[in-house]
Amino acid sequence: MSNRQDSGGRSGLDRRRFLTTAALGGATIVGASALGGLDADAAFAAPGPSLDPAITASTFAEGRITARNGSVLEVAGSYGDRHLIQLTNATSVWKLRTTTADAIEVGDGLYARGVDMPDGTIAADALWVNIVNLFCTVRGIAKDRLHLAHGDGNHAVVGRIVPETTTASYLGGSLTPDLSRLRIGQSAQVLGAWRPADDSVDIARVTVGH
Amino acid sequence: MILDLAPLVCGVLLAATGAAKLFGRRTAQVAANTVLVRVLGNGHRAAFALRAVGAVELAAAAGLLAAPGAVLPGAATALLGAGFTGYLGYAKATAPQSSCGCSARDEGPIGVRSFLRAGAVLAGGAAAAFAGTAWWTRLARDPGWSLLVVAAAAAVLLALSTDLDRVWMPLRRLRLRVFGTPLPAGPGGRVPVEASVELLERSLAWQASSPIVRSGLLDSWDDGGWRVLRYAGVHRDAGGARPVNVLFALDDSATTDANPSPAVRVSVVDDRTQEVVPLDLLELSGLRKPLRMV
Repeated sequence: MSNRQDSGGRSGLDRRRFLTTAALGGATIVGASALGGLDADAAFAAPGPSLDPAITASTFAEGRITARNGSVLEVAGSYGDRHLIQLTNATSVWKLRTTTADAIEVGDGLYARGVDMPDGTIAADALWVNIVNLFCTVRGIAKDRLHLAHGDGNHAVVGRIVPETTTASYLGGSLTPDLSRLRIGQSAQVLGAWRPADDSVDIARVTVGH
Repeated sequence: MILDLAPLVCGVLLAATGAAKLFGRRTAQVAANTVLVRVLGNGHRAAFALRAVGAVELAAAAGLLAAPGAVLPGAATALLGAGFTGYLGYAKATAPQSSCGCSARDEGPIGVRSFLRAGAVLAGGAAAAFAGTAWWTRLARDPGWSLLVVAAAAAVLLALSTDLDRVWMPLRRLRLRVFGTPLPAGPGGRVPVEASVELLERSLAWQASSPIVRSGLLDSWDDGGWRVLRYAGVHRDAGGARPVNVLFALDDSATTDANPSPAVRVSVVDDRTQEVVPLDLLELSGLRKPLRMV
């Protein structure tokens, strides 16, 4: 379970109970139709047009966080550009899992999607902190980590398996916590969060068999 | 004995890595990924520096192999090892993702093995400086023990090299086949939240609420067989824009395998007043598709 409401203790539980009642009272819609999401995968999707006709385009920013002043993040982009990213109480934060703004640290890398404000800041709808998307080969399997080789130079990457969080998808199937079907030599797409401290990757999702 | 044989082991190691750096065809490519580029300004200078280090290594190797009794080659090698350690420490601190360029063949982030390799050069150089007898004399005097020591040293150095990782792949595969995979098998039952999110994002409910939803997933919880997913959104009406919570509820055991289009319940709750906002999402999103409402 994610924890934005957990911090509230009992009042958080009451709020969840209230929201559950509200959710179950809503309109039921059946059917499926593909549309781009706003979750971890979407960090790598091309920035789509804004959904709100009053706003012409949503903005996409990336870079390393150099400073944090309250709810404003100063971000140095990879191409020498600078961004000021304003967090709001509706901003969703992903850092391996859905989390709160407290998990953001100076030095982290981020992708942000948001709306340009008149004062030059970007009001962020969604942030993905330290997210990486690697196409690699499984070179070794251990109890709590995968050894991966990434790219042309066969860069060695250690992918850590995080209990309760790491999931796998086999042959386009749905996500499952069952990792035991991974094999050495398989090509894998790894979505995860980079750990600057020891240069490893915490794995959120391994996709194999595509 | 170890002191006497250190010049041989160190000399062969330095000759191999030095030659690879000085004459390697990929030196320029490797140099481009090291921290040297940032220190020296550009890739050409970094490649030149890497080749120069290779030449120094070759010179030290020649000294060690040809004049094992002299103090100078051993001291130079120890100095080289200290330099490598310092360089690795600097690179690790400033650019942990950079490649070390140590053996000019492997690339990859600087890890424990890089430091151990540099430390081995340092220790080997120090040992060589105190060598009393030439290595060929020692080798001739008691060949059995000498070969054992050299073989042990070679095994340690190979274990520290990343070039051999490929050789170990079949061994690793065999280990998994014999002992089984150490990775957790599914506990069964609980569906990961991400699987529910995946299902939601492929649903018509998601498409219908797309004009309102602004954030990624903020919160999720299970309650009585339902999984509730909370998103933030903005609802704009005659009274202006106001922040809302968009709540989706779906079966907590549904996955794309078992049930690719489960029923999804959608509610919009005003964030300030906590009142449910009555909305016809399908009307709002402009989806004209005929729908079955349950």
